[in-house]
Amino acid sequence: MHGRIEGSLMLTWALAITGALLLLPANILPVMTVIYLGSGEPSTIISGVMQLYNAGLWGIALVVFVASIAVPAMKLMGLFLLLIQVQLRLPLLPLQSMRLYRVVSGIGRWSLLDLFMISILVALVDMGVIAQVVAGPGSTAFATVVVVTMLAARSFDPRLIWDVYDQRCFDNENPGAGNE
Amino acid sequence: MQRGADVMQRRWQRACHECDLLITDALAPPGQKLVCPRCNAVLHRNPKNSIRYTAALSLTGLLLFIPAATLPLMHFSIFAFSGESTLLNGVAALFNAGYVWLSALVLFCSVLAPLVKFLLLAFICWGSAWAFLDGPVAVAVRWYRHLKEWGMLDVYMLGVLVALIKMRDLGKMEVDVGLYCFVAMMLVANLTTLSFDPHVVWARMERRRRRARAAVAGGTQ
Repeated sequence: MHGRIEGSLMLTWALAITGALLLLPANILPVMTVIYLGSGEPSTIISGVMQLYNAGLWGIALVVFVASIAVPAMKLMGLFLLLIQVQLRLPLLPLQSMRLYRVVSGIGRWSLLDLFMISILVALVDMGVIAQVVAGPGSTAFATVVVVTMLAARSFDPRLIWDVYDQRCFDNENPGAGNE
Repeated sequence: MQRGADVMQRRWQRACHECDLLITDALAPPGQKLVCPRCNAVLHRNPKNSIRYTAALSLTGLLLFIPAATLPLMHFSIFAFSGESTLLNGVAALFNAGYVWLSALVLFCSVLAPLVKFLLLAFICWGSAWAFLDGPVAVAVRWYRHLKEWGMLDVYMLGVLVALIKMRDLGKMEVDVGLYCFVAMMLVANLTTLSFDPHVVWARMERRRRRARAAVAGGTQ
């Protein structure tokens, strides 16, 4: 039996806000630097995608874009939508919210793609002056965003959606109950 | 009386883990799955031969883990210089560069979580045959549920592909034996996840207990 998550709403709020704040340094700070023959400039997540796109690899650019930019952003928006809905008891369709919840908790792990790639490249391309890949501080921030949002999706208890729904059904059946 | 208790046992109630709807008599026939009528959550899948398949697959996964973790995945060379990548030296390189948290995360998601998942599933499937292991097996199932989404071999695989394509212009990239083992391990890991369902383990324990009770009752008469 799955127990209810204690303080689910507050915990999810806290984690989601942390994730949203961290998204800023994660996108501004460089995640890695490719040094080739002594020269190279740090690249952020976005410029990494642009490089791939400019090199004509739009397919792989799309994959990286979806995994490391679209997914975290969509996921945070989805989480905030769920949280606001439960907090304000908005009359949305619970089935749609459930679908959103499942998408949000299912896609998060794919954002780690970029970090795995960095860890592979750092080990693979390590030839001193000739060529070297160095990780940047943005990658730490990005890793934290992914972990924090995964934990946030985890700590959100979908039964809250149904609590709101049940309460509304109850209110509709007994319109006088609230006024006593 | 005996029959009444038996019927009661089969007609147990449970709450859907996503919407708390109470559901009675919830066991899917083999090969099918049970879906909550209100929120469409998958309550329980009942894959055919779940325990046997999971036991075999998790052992396969453990065996594949050895070459996948030790052999190099890829080779990269520029001029006379070359480097190779294994599952662990990426972690080590990040650690040496001072990214402790990042290297711990990569280590956990790409090595530890998949390995522990295989170990737990192997333990659950083989261990559920003996009564004295009931407690530890239950703990293992709970651990497995927490660990499930952190094993990211498939994401790592995509990372390997992106790395391969990204470095194509810079030097010569070659795929090594380790990568084939890794791909096999990833497929086995996904199949294992699909073939396993905790309820099958509970059902097996229940069957065994009922048999034991029947044996005791038969002995006293």
